[in-house]
Amino acid sequence: MSGTSVLTKDNVKKKDTTTNFQESDINVLIDSASRVIAPLWPLSTFAARNPWMGLEKQSFEEVAGWLKDTRGIDIYPSASMILSAKRKGEIDQDFVKMGLERWLDSHSFNVPREKAEQFCHAALKLEALPSNLLSSSELEKLADEFRGLNLDSIDNPSIQPISSRIENQDGEKLVNILDHHVIKWSKLYLDESQAGWTMPKREEGFYRAWQRLIQYDPALSKKQRKSLKDWPQEPHMALEKALSELNIPESEIQNYLEGHLLSLPGWAGMMLWRSQQSSHEHALLTEYLAVRISMELVLVKPNLPLTKQQSEKKVSIPSLIASWFQWGNLSIEEWKQLSSAEQNEYLSFAYSFDDKLRRKIWLEAWEQTHADQLSQKLTTKKRKTDSEKSNLAQLAFCIDVRSEPFRRQLEKEGPFETIGIAGFFGLQIATNELGSNHSHPSLPVILKPKHKIKETADEKEFNSYLERKQAVTSLGTTFKAMKQNTLASLLLPELSGPWLTLQMVGRSFVPRSANRFIRNLRQSWLQKPNTNLSLNHEHNKEMEIPIGFTEEEKVNYAHQALKMMGLIENFAPLVVICGHGSQSINNPYAAALECGACGGAAGGFNARVLATLCNLPEVREKLSFEGIEIPRDTVFVAAEHKTTVDELHWIYVPELSEAAQKAFDRIEAVMPKVSDNANKERLAQLPSFQSKVKNPTFEAHRFAEDWSEIRPEWGLARNAAFIIGQRELTEDFDLEGRAFLHNYDWQQDRSGELLGNIIAGPGTVTQWINLQYYASTVASHYYGSGNKATQTVTSGLGVMQGNASDLLSGLPLQSVMESDSEAYHSPLRLLIVIQAPSEYIEKLLNNNPAFLDKVQNGWVRLASVDTDGVWINW
Amino acid sequence: MSVLVSLSTSSLLILFFTLLIASGISGLLFLHPRVPLRYVRIHIGILALPLLVSLLGLFNTSANENVGPWYLDSLAWLMVFFVLAIGLIIQRFSVRYLMGDRSYRKYFTLFTFTTGIASILWLSGDMRLLVIAWGVTFAGLYVLIKLNSGWKVASEAAKVSGRLFTISWLSLVFAMIWLSQATGYWQLSLALANDSLAQLGAWDRTGINLLIVLAVIIPAAQWPFQRWLMESAVVPTPVSAFMHAGLVNAGGIMLTRFSPLFTGEIASIVLLVIASISVLIGSGISLVQVDYKRQLIGSTMGQMGFMLIQCALGAYIAAIIHLILHGLFKATLFLQAGSAVRRYELSPRVTNRSSQLWIMAGRALALFTGVTYWIMAPLEGYQLISALILVWSLSVAWTQLVAFSQGIIGKIVGLSFLGGAAVVYFMMHSLFYEWLSTTVYQSVQPPISVVIVVVCLLLVGIAVGAWVSRNRSSSAYAVLYLWLVRFGEAKPKSVESHPNYLNNIYLKGGNQ
Repeated sequence: MSGTSVLTKDNVKKKDTTTNFQESDINVLIDSASRVIAPLWPLSTFAARNPWMGLEKQSFEEVAGWLKDTRGIDIYPSASMILSAKRKGEIDQDFVKMGLERWLDSHSFNVPREKAEQFCHAALKLEALPSNLLSSSELEKLADEFRGLNLDSIDNPSIQPISSRIENQDGEKLVNILDHHVIKWSKLYLDESQAGWTMPKREEGFYRAWQRLIQYDPALSKKQRKSLKDWPQEPHMALEKALSELNIPESEIQNYLEGHLLSLPGWAGMMLWRSQQSSHEHALLTEYLAVRISMELVLVKPNLPLTKQQSEKKVSIPSLIASWFQWGNLSIEEWKQLSSAEQNEYLSFAYSFDDKLRRKIWLEAWEQTHADQLSQKLTTKKRKTDSEKSNLAQLAFCIDVRSEPFRRQLEKEGPFETIGIAGFFGLQIATNELGSNHSHPSLPVILKPKHKIKETADEKEFNSYLERKQAVTSLGTTFKAMKQNTLASLLLPELSGPWLTLQMVGRSFVPRSANRFIRNLRQSWLQKPNTNLSLNHEHNKEMEIPIGFTEEEKVNYAHQALKMMGLIENFAPLVVICGHGSQSINNPYAAALECGACGGAAGGFNARVLATLCNLPEVREKLSFEGIEIPRDTVFVAAEHKTTVDELHWIYVPELSEAAQKAFDRIEAVMPKVSDNANKERLAQLPSFQSKVKNPTFEAHRFAEDWSEIRPEWGLARNAAFIIGQRELTEDFDLEGRAFLHNYDWQQDRSGELLGNIIAGPGTVTQWINLQYYASTVASHYYGSGNKATQTVTSGLGVMQGNASDLLSGLPLQSVMESDSEAYHSPLRLLIVIQAPSEYIEKLLNNNPAFLDKVQNGWVRLASVDTDGVWINW
Repeated sequence: MSVLVSLSTSSLLILFFTLLIASGISGLLFLHPRVPLRYVRIHIGILALPLLVSLLGLFNTSANENVGPWYLDSLAWLMVFFVLAIGLIIQRFSVRYLMGDRSYRKYFTLFTFTTGIASILWLSGDMRLLVIAWGVTFAGLYVLIKLNSGWKVASEAAKVSGRLFTISWLSLVFAMIWLSQATGYWQLSLALANDSLAQLGAWDRTGINLLIVLAVIIPAAQWPFQRWLMESAVVPTPVSAFMHAGLVNAGGIMLTRFSPLFTGEIASIVLLVIASISVLIGSGISLVQVDYKRQLIGSTMGQMGFMLIQCALGAYIAAIIHLILHGLFKATLFLQAGSAVRRYELSPRVTNRSSQLWIMAGRALALFTGVTYWIMAPLEGYQLISALILVWSLSVAWTQLVAFSQGIIGKIVGLSFLGGAAVVYFMMHSLFYEWLSTTVYQSVQPPISVVIVVVCLLLVGIAVGAWVSRNRSSSAYAVLYLWLVRFGEAKPKSVESHPNYLNNIYLKGGNQ
């Protein structure tokens, strides 16, 4: 892309194209080019990923223009989406008019303002030009006069893979064939599902394995195989050789690599992720590009050298003229009467007020409408509630948008105070469940774990638990072993068929009971023993990270979390730390419904760790030195908010004091009603046949346990705002489950450090979640993952569409669309609202250049509510 | 029960067809946009009715009889029940799974019609009816594949399937015309009676049989006609489930129906060779492929090869049992395709001395069982192959369940799984044998040399597998691996890097 290249060109020493350059040079180029893709991690730990994370130094508008020009990808909402939002009253027309005025005022043109306004207003109806007008011969005649007109100084045309300019005999573009090859090699190499026969030579790395195998690949012709037989052993040499044979000038190499990375951004992103995971694969992206471009060379070789073909922006003159007829109300006669200079002006006006710009104005109006509605809620004068009211319990929930409706219902039912905080509670830990070798980094993907916390149990109980667990898994391994044995696989359907049939019939006709039965059977067989957590520090050299915390770390983590929650005084007798988790079956995107702050897993483990820390007498003692006095009869417990069924499941309840017990009983007593109300509100949004659900909680369980359910819940769809402030600001309003809520009291944050931390951590997580939903909605085929029904899980890593495709990175259609034609998610960029005086916001922006970039370049929106309750847009 | 028994076959048939037509009408009704979507639940209810009647038919059939153009025996009712049950389960699954799909209503109509016609297929006693039903079933499947034709790769897959289905259908048409010309009957039972068959010359017999073989190996995706199944991973999951459970196995039933004609000679040798090759290629594909659905497709190819081997060796009932259980097995595996993403967990495998002993003991036990099984009927070709499969299955299962298990609990559980599976297996088999005991089929033993060739082919497959695991770095392995990958891949035309149709069809409206 022209923009990033401009940014990085300084890094690259100018050299003659013919001289071979060093390995480090090509690595620098690859490193720079890799900004256009984002690392992609396995689907089992699906955590939100901002596909444009490397591009935030440019404005949203520039990136949109660049994507449209180079890849034909449109990242503004489609006209139909906009019109449907307008029908639903989500867009206030006045904001569209204001946006238009602003644009007209800021641009100079030589068309009468009145004419221009009329044209723009009509064009903003977003209706297509009638096809009979476009195809009329008269129009063509008129357009002929402008042949060769150049409306735009053509900016650096970006370089597309050469293979995209050539077709084979069947009319198939060579780049498609190249993609097919690259998909095949990538999936075979990256496979983590343990195929029966793994790719030979895989241990030697991607490039080496490919280089050894390609000479035998029957998918290539004999001649092609031969030409690759003596291909270099080293990936960077192969890459250089291929690039030079393709005649790519050095100055355009980065562009060229970017073009290739964007062809299959998912596979390339997975290579990038893997390269960051372990040292022996550190050059994986280079290897990937070496394989890809070497294969390109082989495919296009017969067609070389290509005639230089400058890709020019094609401007359709007829449609520009037609737009004046249609929207500008010009008649042909009037048009003919214009001087040719005037005609030129008209055309260039129509050209600059293009479709992208029109939809940009709409998107901004949509966002402003949303901000306006939110500001009206947040700035109405609250009835002054007694801030010192005594609460029975304080419950801390994740900032996740799904917490808001649940918190609201809970607060309604009793004297409960709820708090919002990122659901990993600031604990930088990897979790290790009982009997599992796999440890999960339970924190936002932008951070690295610093401690490992293991679940432990009494040794005797643990061993017999392991035996029972192993007995269960042995069924699965036996199934797999038989499947991968040619002869045994022939008997497998007859052996397992009756059991599978029983399961299929049960799950089809009594989904709830069948799933419950299977789950209960499993649980009562396993009988997981009571567990403890390895909180105490242990370290030896073999371990990458230590187990547990030192005494000091324990206090620090507890202190930090309490400060983040704003919970440093007025403790209620019961403090509930709530993680959240989801429940769905047969859903490859299950992890997308889990806690994003916990790396795509349920957050109960972290909640338990924090609650345990806060109950430790030594921690409490040290906290009191820091001025945080936790009363003796205050008890911390941990729970998990099950978002699919809106229930609270207790995870860790130590012995309770009398007051705490009272609070606990009260929560238990109101919970059925809270669940019912929360589920009722939520189910109304999920597509269903019933207009009214009689028993919401019952029905919610059906969603959670039905193997055929394609939308077990809406997840974080419709998210639009991140409100950082006190609960009093938002308390009385129905925020429709669209807002992330983080507690923040600027009066306790004189240095602004806390706010900086919130923006850097939870702020980034919410922005990524928001942009992931945005991207998956506006360009489902590229940034989303398409229809769930036609996906296939590949390599145990992710999904492909149909027979094979890019490794698709985003959310499926069913996570953002109500139906094939109706969007559910509103693609709005995240609105961050901070409750603090303006100086705080200024300081935040000054101290945090990355955040300033995001705001200025339109990747997030920023507003604040100051001490007088006045709303300020930044 | 007495009421049921007194139901005469013809009234049962009338009842069945009435309800089948009712479900068809219900399917058509659902196409109308004015019918609310929640009607689909009533539709599912209506679908269950003909299914229940076919169950009655299954328990109520004492003799094989012709009623008009229909031929009724327990095999016919069993297949009707099976096909309709698959249809019902898949449509029940689609109620939620396809929610919001642009072609939501069409899927139900098509599923209803395709399964309805497929069930009629196996009731046909007239060759003309058989040919029509065979063609319409194919057509239904073709439309199902093509339904999402805005997607380039789906219409490409439909093209490939359509072409091969046509060949299969024409092949059956010619076979039936030939048979009726040679015997003078359109009615199946008359044409296949001994007297009629006696009129056939050797050339007629071989010709018709070869045509039938061609007709059945195409839907079974046997080499070299596997292409259509390989390309069809583009269809929605429920359609795949239906395809793999309800259509690929048609060949096994067809051959059972024509067993009196299909008596060991060139045609069955051709079939044996093709099917054995397909078993090897199919299981090879599922070994090397890494996409869940593609592994299942490879496995289907192999399983169908096995079913056809059973037919060619005259083990028709075994083939029917296999195709039904495989259908249910595969349908379940497809429907739960969403569960294929798991947090992987490598359990530490302890291979200590004692587990080595257990493994050896398991192998000895397996060998003993296999030999005993074979000796029970040493002259039947299929018995030898079953014994072979039994040995391998038992030894693999034993290794995993018993030898590798931990502690006493593990061993007990492993043994009881093994025992439980065996008991259910034998119960299922005796149940099916009882049901199908009245079905007319004629099994003729192929020459023992042919059986040995098949056994050798399979053993070579095993040997190659064993060799591969020891010589992973050899170039021979590289060649074999890449060929298997190539067999399992769709052609470039049926692959698209991103599902661009989404961009063109749904999301864009208004002006561009």
